[in-house]
Amino acid sequence: MKPVNFGIDLGTTNSLIAKYDGGKVQVFKNSIGQKETLASVVAYRPQRVLVGDKAREYLTKDPVNVFGNFKRKMGTDEKYYVVNIDDNVTPIQLSALVLKELKNFVYTGETPQACVITIPASFDTMQSNATLKAGQEAGFKDIFLLQEPIAASLAFFNESSSSKKDGYWLVYDFGGGTFDVALVHATEQELKVIDHEGNNFLGGADFDFAIIETIIVPEIVRQTGITDFEDQLRVKYGKYEKLYYELAYYAEEAKKELSQTNSVVIDFTAEFSDKKYVFSIPITRQEIETLFLPIINETIGLLKKVMENNQLEPNDVNQIVLVGGSTLVPQVREQLSQQTTIPLNHSTDPTTAIVVGAAYYAANKYYDSPQIEQQVEEIASKIPSQIEQIKPDLKIKTSYNRSSRDKEEVLLVFCEGAYENKFLRVIRSDGGFDTGFVPLRAKKTEFLPLLPSVTNLFTLHVYDNNHEEIKTLTQKLSITHGKYTVGGQPLPHDITIEVDDVENKTTRLEAIFERNSLLPQKRTLYREISKTIKKGSKDALIINILEGDKNARPSSNLTIGCIKITGKDLATDLVKGSDIEIQLHITDSRILNTTVFLVMTQQEFKNVFSVSEKKISLDRLRDQYNQLESELTETIRQFQYNQDDVWEIQANALLEDLQSVKERLFKIKEGDKSDEKYIVAQKIMRVSQASDKLGGNERISMLVEEYFGQKERTREAISTSDFQREEMHKKIQKIEASETSFIRSKNVSFIENKIRQLHDLHWDALCNTTSFLITQYIQWRELPPEFYKDYSAAKSLIKMADGSLEKEQYADFRKQVFSLTHLMVITDHRFNKDFKGTGIG
Amino acid sequence: MINYIQIINQLFEIQTKVKESCTSANFERNFNRLFSLFEEEGYFVQDPTGEKYSETRTDCEASITGQLDSKLRITRTIKPIIYHRKDGDVRLLQKAVVIAENN
Repeated sequence: MKPVNFGIDLGTTNSLIAKYDGGKVQVFKNSIGQKETLASVVAYRPQRVLVGDKAREYLTKDPVNVFGNFKRKMGTDEKYYVVNIDDNVTPIQLSALVLKELKNFVYTGETPQACVITIPASFDTMQSNATLKAGQEAGFKDIFLLQEPIAASLAFFNESSSSKKDGYWLVYDFGGGTFDVALVHATEQELKVIDHEGNNFLGGADFDFAIIETIIVPEIVRQTGITDFEDQLRVKYGKYEKLYYELAYYAEEAKKELSQTNSVVIDFTAEFSDKKYVFSIPITRQEIETLFLPIINETIGLLKKVMENNQLEPNDVNQIVLVGGSTLVPQVREQLSQQTTIPLNHSTDPTTAIVVGAAYYAANKYYDSPQIEQQVEEIASKIPSQIEQIKPDLKIKTSYNRSSRDKEEVLLVFCEGAYENKFLRVIRSDGGFDTGFVPLRAKKTEFLPLLPSVTNLFTLHVYDNNHEEIKTLTQKLSITHGKYTVGGQPLPHDITIEVDDVENKTTRLEAIFERNSLLPQKRTLYREISKTIKKGSKDALIINILEGDKNARPSSNLTIGCIKITGKDLATDLVKGSDIEIQLHITDSRILNTTVFLVMTQQEFKNVFSVSEKKISLDRLRDQYNQLESELTETIRQFQYNQDDVWEIQANALLEDLQSVKERLFKIKEGDKSDEKYIVAQKIMRVSQASDKLGGNERISMLVEEYFGQKERTREAISTSDFQREEMHKKIQKIEASETSFIRSKNVSFIENKIRQLHDLHWDALCNTTSFLITQYIQWRELPPEFYKDYSAAKSLIKMADGSLEKEQYADFRKQVFSLTHLMVITDHRFNKDFKGTGIG
Repeated sequence: MINYIQIINQLFEIQTKVKESCTSANFERNFNRLFSLFEEEGYFVQDPTGEKYSETRTDCEASITGQLDSKLRITRTIKPIIYHRKDGDVRLLQKAVVIAENN
């Protein structure tokens, strides 16, 4: 015997499924849209069957094929004729479809074999038996029925801390479209429904209609003068049908908002007789309370009727249990409390109370588990490929493009074997697409919509004639949008922009379009200006677009477009920190269009470059030369230190080669028409690329090893530091986040740059460690005057630091030592003193 | 925690109002910038106005106006579609609220 554990609220408008597990109840959500509720609506659309919210959208438009509210017809001999399938369906069949769809909500992989289904207190034997039959048709082997008010009471009893449970309870169930009230009697042994009343056409939607009719419509009539507007608004397929749906949405939103605040404004525009009107309608909570009162009074009247029929006074009832979304309206609670004087219980979510109670009930119900069958099923779900061979009666093959640039892609499904009366269903993993149940054919086509620039994952499910999933035939499909396909031209290299790394007085590349992206491509970059440029000055902003490896240093890449905006081009001064927008568009023919917008000056600069036509900025070239020269010098120093003689000779040769163009480069005048700057640029690029290849894979392995060693040391230093530990942790995590990409890049300068960042962070960690700082300070204190820019200022700082040290005021001491370091003459060979940068941060 | 969905919905509503008042060109750049900032945080906003509508679109909650036709198009978007992307994983955060009608 196994506990049932699954509870289902099979509602008139919405249904839910939940499971009791280890003392708690979990309400399952639909994988599509992540909603707990499933609309109890079935649509027989051309080519497919839909169950749920999508079906509801067609309810009023296609009434001969779409069915809702069939719960009211359970236990009758009424049948619905479906035009699209030319056949009749019964309320039992429709309910079974809803129950089967709810089973799909159970993402845990198990298939519920038994369940508790809730029914209204008013259901007679015929209606109850019809519900049982629907459960059986849905594939449940054992079904237990439970009255809705009992389920709601159970949920409140189990989740409420109140100790008094014996006696009378009222369950007030006010949903979106129906109202029910039930009198429940509880004893130690049992819960029993004594009496009930209800109205199948009274619900929260009436509140929304009241707002439209009483507040919005009169305002529209007042402004437009259309006296018969209200009548026309109600006309099916009338000219205001679109506006009606909009108003219904606004009214519902206003109702929700007024549950939290005292006033809202509904604002919208609408056209009447070709004239546009702007409406701004304020609504207060007081106003809607006047409108809602008659509706609420009707529900309270039914509640009082139940009490009178059973000769009960308010004191005889323990509490009123609130169920249904409309009980969230504050006025409902206030009026109930005032008019009945009975305490209210709203300790459980009113929208899920019934299903939660059903799951609690299910935890204490047991069924005979066909264990062997279940074990076989469990094993089958784990080894689908083998089972596929055991079930050769149906084979499914799919054909589709794995990558696409279109908005949708065709999926071809080929079936071999017994495909009759079976269905397929394709769902996109993000929840934005669901085909519904589509009858299988020997060959079937479906169009799969794709989200841009991501890998779209779909799951193809196959169902038998009972809508039971054949899990062994499930397939995963993956289509990448926006990447390489045979149909278009891919980019052979990364397209990048050079931006400033102000902290390290250098520049770096940032990818705009990555290699293998398909042309055409468009993107807008938003950056800040990294230096102030005065109006009329020679200082410039340089937008340098390059082609090559995004991980390499800028000088290793080929400049394909360069825009120079000098102070003379500016309408006003351009201040550091102001915004710049750079829009880049590369066409199929690889023509690069660049539009630069300076937000501060409100100026736009447009340029068109052909990739065959090189553009070079002399300033940038000189910066790049200086950067490469200092990096090569540093590399040589490292090779000397590590005694890598062969690499040292090669690096020296490269440095010499580079320096051979130095004089020429710095002699070139702005506006020079000769080929000189192109020749020099070519040389710099070649040396830069050769520098990255120095030492080959062996050097890369050594650098990777050095990186991990440095990371370990830095982590250790951070963990023992006394200040700013959290900030430094964040910094090291940021470096680690890009670890895979820069190690994979096998690019020397990229890995070296990361090692340098770790070195700097390591130094920061040490400087934030008091013991280390004291040791360093003792050395710095003794340095001769030439080591300081301003020795007298240094001396006064030393005096203050000595005082702090003596008093053990380490926070002050740290600040003073930091100030002292700013006075020191430090020559960092890494930094390029003449660094001008691009001006883009 | 910042309620990005509510902020995006407000922004979308402002954008819609600006478009209706025929001054959208003045603000287009600002809206693009704002939506691009949300994209940096992983929030991608899609306005489905003008797109085809069918029952397989579970990224929209539609009210269908006029006589039902097999070719429906979205003519009004009250709330946009919002996706969240993180580490290659895409999740639908908000379905659009739309009005669809015959082509």
